[in-house]
Amino acid sequence: MRRGIWITLGATMGVGGALLLSRRASAASPASAPAGQDKPPPVIELAPLPQAADVSGDLSRNWGETPVDLRPLFTLMEETSRIVGSGRIFSVIASRESHFVVNAQNGDAAGEQGERDASARAYANNKDRNPPLRYGAQAAAFGSGGLFGALAPYFLWTGVPEVGAKAPLLGAPPELMFQPRAAAFAAAVYMQRLLKAYRIDDHADIKAGWASPTLLTSARGGTDYQNVRARFLADAKTLGIDLSDTTTIPPKLDASAWPGVPAVFAGLVGALPKELS
Amino acid sequence: MTPDLRCYGDDIQALAALVPDVDLRSPMDTHGWYRGEWQHIAEPLGFAQQLAGAPTAIPTTADRAAAMTLTGLAAFERSLHEARAGVTDLQARAQSTVLQQMTTAGHERGELWRVTADPTTLSTGACYAEGGGSLRAFYPDTAPGYFGEGWPGPPPRAESACGWTTPLVLHLGTFPWVYSSRLEAVGPGMRWTSPSAKPALEGLYAMGSLMEPAINLRQDARQVAAIFRHFVTHTAPLLARIPRFPASGAEAGRLYRRGSFLHVHQGSLHVAGLDGPRGRVAAPAYNYVLRRFACFFAIRRAALRALSTLPAEVQQLATTSVDPCMRQHAQEVARAG
Repeated sequence: MRRGIWITLGATMGVGGALLLSRRASAASPASAPAGQDKPPPVIELAPLPQAADVSGDLSRNWGETPVDLRPLFTLMEETSRIVGSGRIFSVIASRESHFVVNAQNGDAAGEQGERDASARAYANNKDRNPPLRYGAQAAAFGSGGLFGALAPYFLWTGVPEVGAKAPLLGAPPELMFQPRAAAFAAAVYMQRLLKAYRIDDHADIKAGWASPTLLTSARGGTDYQNVRARFLADAKTLGIDLSDTTTIPPKLDASAWPGVPAVFAGLVGALPKELS
Repeated sequence: MTPDLRCYGDDIQALAALVPDVDLRSPMDTHGWYRGEWQHIAEPLGFAQQLAGAPTAIPTTADRAAAMTLTGLAAFERSLHEARAGVTDLQARAQSTVLQQMTTAGHERGELWRVTADPTTLSTGACYAEGGGSLRAFYPDTAPGYFGEGWPGPPPRAESACGWTTPLVLHLGTFPWVYSSRLEAVGPGMRWTSPSAKPALEGLYAMGSLMEPAINLRQDARQVAAIFRHFVTHTAPLLARIPRFPASGAEAGRLYRRGSFLHVHQGSLHVAGLDGPRGRVAAPAYNYVLRRFACFFAIRRAALRALSTLPAEVQQLATTSVDPCMRQHAQEVARAG
C-alpha cells in the first residue's frame, strides 16, 4: 500500500489532529489484543447503516457515483449536523480517504510502521492535555482508518474541545471507527469545527483543513494547500459530484445551526454500551 | 394445489424459495408481495425514496401486478430526471428504438428475458451517428460471461455501418445488468438516459413486466433456467470463498454470505464483489440478479397455482405453451377444476 503523508496538527484543534494526504487505505484485519493487553477490546455493534426511509433529503440528485447504500448515511450526517450541503462533501472526502471501504486502515500492515508511528506521536503529544483514553495504547498503535481516514487518538478524543470529559468515545476502542456511524460522528464534529473556527473560502478549503488546519492558516497558499485542493476538486469530478450545483450544495457551508456534540452523537450513533461510556 | 417446479429441476424449486411465496388470488397478498419486491429493486437502483413517495397503486388497471409495475416505473422515471445523463441524446434515441423492436420480438417469441437480434436487421442497424462516425448503440457482449458462453455467431447478414460482427444480446430479465460480462456495481443499463430520451425506462419495464403473470407465463422458463444454471456454475466457486455470516462477532466492513445472498456487515455492498476468471461480479449485481431469477420462478409458480382465476387468454397461453412443464401444470390445474 502506498505510504501517505502525515501532517501533524498543532493545538489549534483543541486535541491536536493529524489527517492523511493522498491516502489509499487497505481493509482492516480483525481486531486483536495488542502486546501487553490481556484481552481484545469488546465488540460493539451499533445500529446498521441508515436507509433511504431514515432520511428526508434527496438521494438521487448530484451524488455521482456515490454508492447508493451510503447516500443515506451522508445525508443523515448532513441532517443531524444541520450543515446544509455537507452530505455530498462528505462523500467526496470519503472517496479519497477510504474509497468508501468502512474498515479501511492505514497501520495494520507490516509495511505501515510509519502510520503507527504517526498515531503514536499523536497520542504521546496530546495525552497530557486531554482526558484519558481507556484504549489509549491501542489507539497509539492503530494508525488511522474508517470511512473518513481518522487518526485513532483524535477519533477517540472527538468532542473534547466542545464537551470536555463528556466526549462520548473516550472509553471506546479504536476499532469503533470501522463502524460507519461512529466514523460519521467524528467527521461531522470535525467539519463543524473547521467551518466555525477557520477561514473557509470554498469547498476545497474544507478538504485542505481536513488534511491539516495549518493549511488554512500559516500554510495557506503553499504547495501542500494547492495540492490538497486540486486533488479534492479532481476527486469530486471523478465521483461525479458537481460542487457548483447550488441546489444541492450551497456556495459556502454554514455550521451556525450545529445542534451540539451530544445531539449529533445521539442522532448518528445512539448510545454506546454502558461499560464503554 | 401448489405447482411443483421440480419439472424445471430441483435447483429451480429451491431458487423460487429464496423469495416469499405469493397467492395471486389474494389482493392483499399480491399487493404486499409486489410492493416488497419493487422495494428490493428500488434500493440497489437508487429510487427507493421515489418509490416510497409514490401512490400505492396507479388506478389505470385492475391488474395489481401491472399497476405495481407502473408505480415502479413512475418512481424510476422520477429518479432518472435527477440522474446524470449517461449517454448522448443520439445514442439514447437509437437505444430506445432498438429496445422497442427487440422487446416486441422477444415478447412474441417468449424470449423476453434474453433478447437477441442481428443488429443489421434493426432500425438504424443498432448504430448512431456522432462526431462524423457511426457508433454501436450497445456494448457487443459476446465474450464468455456469467450468463452464457459467449456469442461467436452467426455474424450479421449485412455489413454493419458501425462495426457489428456479432449478434446484439441483451439480458433484459436482469436489467440493468444486461451484459453477461459486465456485472459491475452499477448496472450498465442505468446509464441509458439522456436529457431527451430514457431507454432505461424501457429496460426496467421489460424486467418488471416479467413479474406480471401474463408476461411471465409467455416467457420460455427453460431459457431462464439455463441462464440461471450458467450463472450458478460460474459464481458458486467464487461464493464458496466467502465466509458465512456468524451468529455473533461479525466484522464491520467484511463481506459475508447471509443465506443465499451477499452481505457486507456495517458497510457498503457496492464496494464489495467476487473476483473470478470471467471478471468481477459486484455484490449488488450478484444479489439483484439472483433475486430476479428467484422472482421469476416464484411468479411462475404463483401464476400456475392461480391459473383458473387468470384471464382466459392467459390460461390458453399456458395450456398451449411449448414448455412441456408449464403445459403439464396447466392441464393438472384444469383437471383439478
